[in-house]
Amino acid sequence: MTTSFVDVDVRPILRAGGEPFEKIMEAANALRPGEGLRLLATFKPMPLLHVLGSRGFEHEMRELGGGDWEVLFSPSATAPKSAEVDVPEIGDQGTWPEPLRHMDNRNLDPPEPMVRILAATEEMAPGEVMSALLCREPIFLLPELAKRGHAWRGDFEPDGTTYKILVRIGGARGTPQPDAA
Amino acid sequence: MPAARRPAPLQQKKNAIVLGATLSRWTMSYFAAALIAFLAAELLMTLGYGYPSAPVESASTLVLVHLVVLGWLSLLMCGALFQFVPVLVARALYSDSLPLPTLVCLIVGLAALLLGFLQMDGFVSTVFAFFPAAAALLAIGFGLALWNLGRTLWAARPLPLPARFVVVGLCSLAATVTFGIIFTLVLRGVTDNPHLADVVANGVPLHAIAGLGGWLTFTAMGVSYRLLAMFMLAPDLDSSRSRAGFYSGTAALAVAIGGGVAAICFAASLTLALLAAGLLGLCALVLYGADMLRLYRARKRRVIELNSRMAAFAMAGLAASVILIVALAALGFFAQHVAATAFLVAFGWLSGLGLAKLYKITAFLTWLECYGPVLGKTATPRVQDLAVERRAIRWFFLYFCAVWAATAALLLEMPMAFQACAGLMLIASLGIIVQLVRIRRLLDVGVAMRLPPGIRMPQLLRCSVQHD
Repeated sequence: MTTSFVDVDVRPILRAGGEPFEKIMEAANALRPGEGLRLLATFKPMPLLHVLGSRGFEHEMRELGGGDWEVLFSPSATAPKSAEVDVPEIGDQGTWPEPLRHMDNRNLDPPEPMVRILAATEEMAPGEVMSALLCREPIFLLPELAKRGHAWRGDFEPDGTTYKILVRIGGARGTPQPDAA
Repeated sequence: MPAARRPAPLQQKKNAIVLGATLSRWTMSYFAAALIAFLAAELLMTLGYGYPSAPVESASTLVLVHLVVLGWLSLLMCGALFQFVPVLVARALYSDSLPLPTLVCLIVGLAALLLGFLQMDGFVSTVFAFFPAAAALLAIGFGLALWNLGRTLWAARPLPLPARFVVVGLCSLAATVTFGIIFTLVLRGVTDNPHLADVVANGVPLHAIAGLGGWLTFTAMGVSYRLLAMFMLAPDLDSSRSRAGFYSGTAALAVAIGGGVAAICFAASLTLALLAAGLLGLCALVLYGADMLRLYRARKRRVIELNSRMAAFAMAGLAASVILIVALAALGFFAQHVAATAFLVAFGWLSGLGLAKLYKITAFLTWLECYGPVLGKTATPRVQDLAVERRAIRWFFLYFCAVWAATAALLLEMPMAFQACAGLMLIASLGIIVQLVRIRRLLDVGVAMRLPPGIRMPQLLRCSVQHD
């Protein structure tokens, strides 16, 4: 069976400095059973691969030249456990308010960027958004944000070296439970 | 509004599993078991057990060699990979529960293997078939590790360069274990297949190259790309030079292992295959060396930590090993001094890098385990507050000096001097291990900061994510 692909070209959005994530997720959500997504981007969208992978999409990537990439997301042959491994924070379709705080943590020694972001989240009110620039994907920060009930969206900037993360403060703060067994 | 959010802690937890990395529960147990094997091996060398007091092919040397490469280096590497493969691919480990049975199989399998060697020597006189038991247990143990890491890597394709090094390293591990199983089957008389008998007769260098070169060195190279870039704030390298290094190293291993086996089975020249592999391997190591120099030069962090400085000593050990191998081969003395070069690779390069990275990894994992849940909520120590580098550095210097002197003693055929150097290595290693235990027990953190409200002392051997 051949998969028919819906084209999503986010290169103009990326070149204009925009955030294409919502457009991609909208397109992914609108796919009919058996349909795939053909994404054109200006860099390798690594976090997106994980997000759509968890929704049961397999991918194939091809460099188009000029730094552009084509990624074919096709429905996995094996039954996806999409409902089970949903990604609520990232898949959250609502529009987020403008960030109230901006941090540039690119030149800090690890794990200082993580410490500063978590410290900032403690000072902000539920629903507020902060943005931070990092020099790599914050591997250990992401589970900690999720555990504390904060939503996040993050990806590499088109330059491929700066990782920008937006964190929206969750309503229920994850406070430590002393001696939780 | 809070009501609009999905109050679904279970789903959030699954989100955490999908994206990002968490603490590997049993990595500290792997490190502890590895360090015990390391100390035991150094003690045996100090007491004059195995080479150079006994021949290279003697049972006692085999005990020593496998205690080092399986007990120390392989357990260290497995423990490190269970934590760092998820970091390399930004994805959780396939199974967090398999590492414990894997560790049990590997430790019991190693014990059976060592007893098998002692049985071969007549030192152990029971009739129990230790070799087949060892082969089965080690195959299961490494098979589980390969399955767990392989599934994690497979799910994360396309892989970044460091992870591709790990994949080749894992394939080499599979080859090493396969050689080991063939050796035990033929030596126990389970099979008399002539090709397998030829592999046993001539395949020991291939077993060693696959293990030391492919599994341990190639994996360490891959992991070092990411760890050094992370700890020194240097850019991740994925240039055409890095890729050329990766491909020539992979080709070297394929020629050595695949070509080597073919040469043995078809009675062609094994030396020729190894020479071709050696030239490819040399290319890979030169390109890797150039990349590492570039990482150190491109770092944003001017004053680097002890682990990065000591990693440079280990890489000097690798460079010295390469020069030694080339020089000895050119002069026709390689066969005579193969043990000295293997010693330098195992202790100067692999163990040196392992100890340097252990010092940082132990501090980082302990810090994350202990203070991660309360970061930003209360005052917490920094990672560097868990360790006292000026105290540790003496032991690292002593360790590297002792290793280099021990290598010289082996080359100059001075067994007593070698034993003395091994004793110094043992003392230095004990010194470093004391520092690691101090880090894990938070002994160097000021009492006021040590345990903020709600934080428990981490267990020595097991990582738990508190307040989970």
